[in-house]
Amino acid sequence: MILAVVDDPFPAGWIPPYNTLVVAAGVASVGFAAGVVGCFAVLRRRALAGDAAAHATLLGIGLAFLLGGGRRDLPLLLAGALATAIAALLGLVLIGRWTRTRDDAATAIVLGVSFGAGITLLSGITARGIPGSAGLGQFLLGHTAGLTAADATILGAVSLLAVGMVALFLKESTLVAFDPLFAAASGWPVMLIDYALVVLVAVMVVVGLPAAGAVLVTALVVIPPVTARQWTDSVGVMLPLAGMFGLVAALSGVAVSSAVPRMPTGPLVVIAASVLLTVSLLIAPRRGGLARWLEARRTVAAWADGRLLEVALRLDGDGPFTREQLLARAPGAAADSAFKRLVRSAALEPVVTRGGTHAWRLAVWGRELAAERSRRVAAWTEVLEAAREDARGHLTIDVPSPEAILGAARMKAIRELAAAERVAGGPRPGQPGQPGQPGGGAGG
Amino acid sequence: MIEADSTHLWMHFWAIATAATVSAGSALVGSFLVVRRLSLLGDAISHAVLPGIVLAVLAGGRPGGAGVFLGAVVAALVTVWLTNLLGTHAGLAEDASAGVAFTTLFAIGVVLVSALASRVDIDPECVLYGILELVPFDTVSILSLEVPRALLAAAAVLIVLVIGAVLCWKELVFTAFDPAAARAAGLPVGVVSAGLLVATSLATVASFEAVGAILVVAMLAVPAAAAELLFRRFHVMLVVAVGLGVAGSILGYLAAWRFNTNAAGMIAVVLGIEYVVAALVAPGDGIVARVVSRESLRWRVACEDRLASLWRAEEGDAAALAPRTLLDRLVQARLVFGGRINRGGSGGLTDIGREEARVIVRSHRLWEAWLGRHVALPLDHLHPPAEWIEHHLGAEVRGRIAADLEGHEGDPHGRDIPPEGFPPRAADEPAP
Repeated sequence: MILAVVDDPFPAGWIPPYNTLVVAAGVASVGFAAGVVGCFAVLRRRALAGDAAAHATLLGIGLAFLLGGGRRDLPLLLAGALATAIAALLGLVLIGRWTRTRDDAATAIVLGVSFGAGITLLSGITARGIPGSAGLGQFLLGHTAGLTAADATILGAVSLLAVGMVALFLKESTLVAFDPLFAAASGWPVMLIDYALVVLVAVMVVVGLPAAGAVLVTALVVIPPVTARQWTDSVGVMLPLAGMFGLVAALSGVAVSSAVPRMPTGPLVVIAASVLLTVSLLIAPRRGGLARWLEARRTVAAWADGRLLEVALRLDGDGPFTREQLLARAPGAAADSAFKRLVRSAALEPVVTRGGTHAWRLAVWGRELAAERSRRVAAWTEVLEAAREDARGHLTIDVPSPEAILGAARMKAIRELAAAERVAGGPRPGQPGQPGQPGGGAGG
Repeated sequence: MIEADSTHLWMHFWAIATAATVSAGSALVGSFLVVRRLSLLGDAISHAVLPGIVLAVLAGGRPGGAGVFLGAVVAALVTVWLTNLLGTHAGLAEDASAGVAFTTLFAIGVVLVSALASRVDIDPECVLYGILELVPFDTVSILSLEVPRALLAAAAVLIVLVIGAVLCWKELVFTAFDPAAARAAGLPVGVVSAGLLVATSLATVASFEAVGAILVVAMLAVPAAAAELLFRRFHVMLVVAVGLGVAGSILGYLAAWRFNTNAAGMIAVVLGIEYVVAALVAPGDGIVARVVSRESLRWRVACEDRLASLWRAEEGDAAALAPRTLLDRLVQARLVFGGRINRGGSGGLTDIGREEARVIVRSHRLWEAWLGRHVALPLDHLHPPAEWIEHHLGAEVRGRIAADLEGHEGDPHGRDIPPEGFPPRAADEPAP
């Protein structure tokens, strides 16, 4: 249905007109700056304050329209939007200082009431049929089709200015974002830097309005930094990365909406950003879902390898053993593939005996490996036994969680293994090993 | 719009009734959200139910029907699940993960509405701010009365919410105020929280048609927050919140009618005004109460300082400074009017004024003496703390300090400490 309307938006040899190029450049720099500035909003947990400011912009647009005598002059409208956005932030501060209403309710109040006031004003303007008022609704969900090159230049210039501000005060902002107490103790004006950051977020929310609209522009400030966070732990990398994600999201949203009639830009920009986020959540190194899954698999495999080697060492004492004997004593789904790895690593040397059945013995270095592992397991068992006593009464309140040291994947593997052992009726981890029992001595 | 024939009045009546019903349900749920610090859950859910509603309508559900409610509840649960997932897996702060989840779902909803406009009977603008004015045109006939469908849905939700709140009152309140203790007492805290979640999405969907996705946030949070400022007992707060919500809907609708603008937006504005008024007049810690108590203290201090300076002037036979600033002149006028200072040119203390001033100077000098005796402060550092505390010492404390000083009858600057109850004044002695 949609494709039928625009069968070929970009025919071969098509050169975009000057205006389109300038608008694209303007939107791209808005997306970039929103991503960069948004990093600090996310790090300082100001994401929803930005949302409240964004919803308040509608009121300012209506007021500026009335003050300007019905001219649809973008810089004027956006100046009005900025004024009410900052007023909304001020409202949040005042509610926090003068009432006992908590932050979450304060945000909801400012957001809901300022948006209601904006809707009331815009509906009133539209109902009175003031000329030029028809397009004001475009700021709700974003609409870049009407942007002129001059408008886009202004948007781009403000965005680059915002990026410049962040670059200029990078050290201060980073310090305040990560350790406000230390920053305050070192004599930095934390409140001032904090307010400046929030105002910068408000500026980005306002210049993002034509692209994403009042209702969804927060996403342009929040989602790209969250996406960038998946890929890096360093602020220096996160900022430009978030900027790039914001740029790609803004550009692709605007491009798609220009090809589809009657489709507001904002939702498409947000969906583009979310797609980037989803992909990042899946494939980012270390934090991504794929990396976590592989890590968990590796952990489980390493556990299975060790346990199998241990059982093999015990069986090896009574001469050659078969694969079935080995697997019967080492429960768990991963044991089979662990056996294959063991064969491939040549820790087992094959001994073909009468009757054609395969029987196995440990190779010399397999025996060494198993013995070394047993020694380490015994040492760890001793340590953990002591820690077990310690954990009952002597650990301090600030003891780190095991997950913090071992990692969530490893802890999960440990829990699963312990559960499997309980099901298999084996001894609980940490109890003295019983020869001949599956899992004996492998605890800890 | 101003034609006052009976059909039009009925239309307005139905619209107002719908708004009030919706608002009552939202305020009821919102009270629990506000005290549990979950207002932003209402924000997130109200945005995120949109794709659920659109998909349910696309699957053949009627707006306001059971299918749509189901779709919305599912969408709300998906939002919360997504928020938690982002929080645990991506290590995001709560506000960021909620911001990601609900903007994305809302964006999907808007795109669906825009792309399927021909097949889904939902107006993209209605999604944002509702069309309360059109609610009376979609009616069902009950007992030969044409009742708006939206009102029926809202009333059904309100009844369900009230029954739920009454039946689970104890659990809801316990969980709201002390979840840890509730868990320890064996209450199913998770089930109660999930129930609150479902209640929020029900209230949101019921409001959706009338006021739209975003203004529901105002209906949920604003009356509850205003009532919380006014009353500290939860059941009182709840009733007041519902009352404020209903009143705000009626007034908002009437104002929108009068000024010919969007009713839902105006309701949010009226609710905001209610909140501001509540913040101003709240007993105890309202803004007016705080300003009054601060200013009345400032006033009392100024009056007492004036009396004390006149007393010191009499003591040293020097003239007190003439009042200069506006505050000084007001204080002077007040003291003259209250019979503390003689009318006329001399401006000396009356007997009452002298007695009150003496007590203040006594407090001041007792404190200086006590500080000089017990705290190693240089002489010129004794005056400022005494200047502050002279307005706050009671008779009992003065007595105990005097006892501690054991009859050392002078302050560290070498001046006498005036006695406590001297000279006794006859009860019938007329004030000059």
